[in-house]
Amino acid sequence: MSAQQLDGPLESGSSFPARLTARVVTPGERPLVHGYDVEGDLARHYQPSDLLFLLLMGELPPAPASRAFSVALMFLSPVSVAHASTHAAVVGRLCGAPASSTFGVAAIGAAEHARALLDDHAELFPWLRAPRGSLPERFRARDASDLAAVQRLELALEPTGLAVPALAERPSRDAALLMVLFAVGFKRRERLEAAIMLARLPSGIAEALAERPTNFGNYPINLPRFAYTESP
Amino acid sequence: MNLPELTHETRTAHWGWHEHRYFGQRVFEQLAGQETLTGLTILSVLGRRLAGDASGVVDDAACTLTLADPRIWPLKLTRLIAAYGSTLPAAAAGLLSEEDARIGPWTTAKGAELLLAFDAEIGDRVDETETVRAIVKAYLDEHRFVWGFGTPFRGEDERLVAFRACIRQRERESLRFWRLMDAISAVVREARGTEPNMGIAIAAAFLDLGLTPHQVGSLTSALMQHMFLAHAVEGSAQGASLRELPATYVEFVGHAPRPSPRAEDQ
Repeated sequence: MSAQQLDGPLESGSSFPARLTARVVTPGERPLVHGYDVEGDLARHYQPSDLLFLLLMGELPPAPASRAFSVALMFLSPVSVAHASTHAAVVGRLCGAPASSTFGVAAIGAAEHARALLDDHAELFPWLRAPRGSLPERFRARDASDLAAVQRLELALEPTGLAVPALAERPSRDAALLMVLFAVGFKRRERLEAAIMLARLPSGIAEALAERPTNFGNYPINLPRFAYTESP
Repeated sequence: MNLPELTHETRTAHWGWHEHRYFGQRVFEQLAGQETLTGLTILSVLGRRLAGDASGVVDDAACTLTLADPRIWPLKLTRLIAAYGSTLPAAAAGLLSEEDARIGPWTTAKGAELLLAFDAEIGDRVDETETVRAIVKAYLDEHRFVWGFGTPFRGEDERLVAFRACIRQRERESLRFWRLMDAISAVVREARGTEPNMGIAIAAAFLDLGLTPHQVGSLTSALMQHMFLAHAVEGSAQGASLRELPATYVEFVGHAPRPSPRAEDQ
């Protein structure tokens, strides 16, 4: 049967380009990222975290930002199964889904986790752009464990040479990490969200891969116990 | 170790021994053999069944919404993922692109919010032409973009024309939000020259069924899944042809080739 010749809004009266536009990665045999030769240059002189920075920001990071970005990624990376994002990836694995589908679940979880973190810290960024007065109370360290984590972050940042004056405000661990990302140049929300998501994704995937597919008997099915109610 | 029990309330479902519950309904006794897929979808989004011809309105919406040309962006997205050979990840990717997006089913939720905002101002004065004009024009003065209006590539939304015929046939054109939509549309048409689209029509019809804006968006998303599934099924069976375009079909407009600072230092 031959294809029918139908007419519609996309056949006539509208004009679209014939080619797709590439803006970051040059297509072809020898890929360039934002103009840099990946195989002949970046692979010899830079770390994967620098390539991630370049992809998201369009420029390679200066040395202090490069090291501080690595530190931030390291601190952001661990996300235990206590978190819904990693927990969901583990449940995907339990279901016996193909690995690629489990990775997809982990990616959605990590993206949503990052979005929620930035939603919770939406008011932090105006303060970081124009830090008048002290840090809003809700972004301050809540306990000794939070303070200790920020001290470890400051220690890890020390050799990088990057100054993050906002850390003196005794922020929470999450707020401190956002301050570091902001200081290395991540000012736009979408890019921050991407960096956080990408830092956390491997945790979800790794925790899922450590679980055995269909190992239902070892999964706490009543955590939490969903209490069914018919009340409106 | 004894742990305190963590509990979480749900109205959705419970797995029993010989009978299951779904939003207060006994599955085998009250749903099996009696309820349709549309009715189940309504129950899933609203947590209750709707009386009268509500299911018919929802079916009319689903049918007239069926614009599934694979060149339409969210469906194209599904088609691209399907090129790797799996069906449900492709459908899921399409679903992911919907919530809070500028096109697609979630625009009905935005349209519903707009209609509720106008309803709060206009109230029972929907037949007072000058009152409606003043309120809508004041809104237009402050908003360049208006959810639910605009019909790209054509003069009017043919889906709305077909849906309106269904609504007329069901004698629902005189209901509160449908009338409000028509009243607002007259002012937007006069001021901007743009026509209402299917998004605001679905919003009006579903508000007239008693849905909230979030329910309007969720239900409309559910009603559009057949299109994503169709492309996921067909696309995953078609093989790899969409996996990589020939380089001649891609134009690079980014940064010119350059050496890195560390390469230059060497």
